[in-house]
Amino acid sequence: MFAYTIKRLLQSLVTLAVLATAVFLMMRLMPEEGYFGEGFDRLDQVQIEAALTQMGLRDPLPTQLCRYLSNLLRGDLGRSIVFRPQVPISEIIAPKIPYSVYFGLASIAISLIIGLPMGVMMARFKGRTPDLLGSGYVVLVKAVAPAVCYIFLQLYLSSWLRIPMLFNVRRPLSWILPVLCMSLGNVANYAMWMRRYMVDELNRDYIRFARAKGMSNSKIMTRHVLRNAFVPMAQLLPTSILLTISGSIYVESLFSIPGMGGLLVNAIQRQDNTLVQALVLIFSCVGILGLFLGDVFMAMVDPRIKLDKRSGAR
Amino acid sequence: MEKILSAEDVVVKFTLRGETLTAIRGVSLDLHRGESLAIVGESGSGKSVFTKTFMGMLDPNGWVDSGRILYKGHDLARYKTERQWLGIRGREIAMVFQDPMTSLNPLKTVGHQILETVELHRSVRRAEARRLSMDILRDVGISDPEKRYNQYPHEFSGGMRQRVVIAVAIACNPNVLICDEPTTALDVTIQAQILQLLHSLQEKYGLTIVYITHDLGVVANVADRVAVMYAGDVIECGLCEEIFYNPQHPYTWALLSSLPQLGVKGEPLFAIRGTPPNLHSEIKGDAFAPRNPYALEIDFIRRPPCFQVSPTHRARTWLLDPRAPRVTPPAPIARSRKLWMEKKMEKMKEQDRDAR
Repeated sequence: MFAYTIKRLLQSLVTLAVLATAVFLMMRLMPEEGYFGEGFDRLDQVQIEAALTQMGLRDPLPTQLCRYLSNLLRGDLGRSIVFRPQVPISEIIAPKIPYSVYFGLASIAISLIIGLPMGVMMARFKGRTPDLLGSGYVVLVKAVAPAVCYIFLQLYLSSWLRIPMLFNVRRPLSWILPVLCMSLGNVANYAMWMRRYMVDELNRDYIRFARAKGMSNSKIMTRHVLRNAFVPMAQLLPTSILLTISGSIYVESLFSIPGMGGLLVNAIQRQDNTLVQALVLIFSCVGILGLFLGDVFMAMVDPRIKLDKRSGAR
Repeated sequence: MEKILSAEDVVVKFTLRGETLTAIRGVSLDLHRGESLAIVGESGSGKSVFTKTFMGMLDPNGWVDSGRILYKGHDLARYKTERQWLGIRGREIAMVFQDPMTSLNPLKTVGHQILETVELHRSVRRAEARRLSMDILRDVGISDPEKRYNQYPHEFSGGMRQRVVIAVAIACNPNVLICDEPTTALDVTIQAQILQLLHSLQEKYGLTIVYITHDLGVVANVADRVAVMYAGDVIECGLCEEIFYNPQHPYTWALLSSLPQLGVKGEPLFAIRGTPPNLHSEIKGDAFAPRNPYALEIDFIRRPPCFQVSPTHRARTWLLDPRAPRVTPPAPIARSRKLWMEKKMEKMKEQDRDAR
């Protein structure tokens, strides 16, 4: 187990290094306009070259890459250029994190509380009314573009329930809509996964054998099916939870929540190259961390992985 | 001998894509206490389905349409609710399935799965249940049970896993053990060990065992009595030696002739021509008639009744009717029958001599 965790950790670090390099290289392909604030139009070619050289952007690529990576290792994400000129990016991001985390946690709590039992009920009554209703919901949420769902919810629910359309820190009621929107997809995901993995387990031979040895259906459900269906869930949930916590790009900008997701949209619109670079890196890190945690949790609940030399073969 | 379970005229039907098909067409079979009964037949002959009715384990689209299954004075064919079946499953009748690789929960230790079963059927304390589980593990021939108890199924080989599966079934403390193809998924060398194990457990725990198999070698090794099934019907049933040496039904002849051991060296192996009947259409007459070279005209018109050959031996074929013409069975069958008769005569003579 320990060796497995270390191995997965090293693999994640390698992925991370590759990823940081890829993000860096992609940013070199962006228009150089993004390294200047307003007044770019008024600069001539010589001034632009001088400024870029001064920022170190005319150094050979390997040198730039090394500088960038070593800065990253020291936790220096660079400075914003357009959004808030010359302010360190970590300072811009820091106050945004709590909003994304609070919204994320609220949404995750709701999704888990509703989604998991929903999936269990769908599996328990497979092919009957609860399953059909649940599947209808999942198909609807998954098939309709989220943007459409969110805008409908924002427009209609806010007028019917007389709750604010946009987020306002001082009005608790304004939390409802964004959390609801963020939970829609997660509830559908969790219910769908739970149902799927439980039905998978239900069809296995050992369930038939457990029935033959005289175990009641309810005991089989709780002791065998639910427990075993959690193995794949343990792998999927961390990524989903972490990505939700790190901020929903669309929901945050739609409800003007000052979180990380909204910030990314803003930074892209205003072509703040370094800020975009930092945010993309953070979101990717969260993704990798999620995958790593998922694998570790799965190894904790599935004894087969500890001894398996070809780890992660499942 | 005391009957422990008795099936009378059991009919099992299934609905499949809106159609109703009959999988078991009126089977009657008795099970005697302490015996080993082998049910043989090709795939799809209904041997598994028939035994599943004893435990209410039919798939949801199947049901017992008519007939009675008497066990300890209760008619299992009338059982409907889960609660009723929980009184039978494991506690009275337990089952061992074909594939030991998938019959155990991969995420729970072997010991836990046995313990769980012990606690399900006996009201004992945890420590006592643990000791019992350990004993059962030792009984099924697993060495070093203290260590093996805490291991997971994937740490066991196929044969060892089948031993664990048998241990779980034994942990229920049943009267009847149904083994559905218990050795099919195993190595030939392991097969004999598992059969040996089942035999020794049968004595120790006083079990009545039903083997479901299509392997006549297994049958010859373990069975006291044999029931041959074809197209959802028991067409011949008798003591093991009666079936092997004095078979009466042409299907049994064909089945035995297909054994490579009975063939003549240099001649092609025998195979039964044609395919089993389609269960969707109603079967008229003897189900085997279209594939049967010995078929009489009546075989296509009326279903043959059961003819008693000896007190322990019966077969469902018109050939046993007094009006039927005499036919000579295929050469290998005739040969072994002759041998058997001679042996029997000698035995009788010996008995005569001893009596005098």
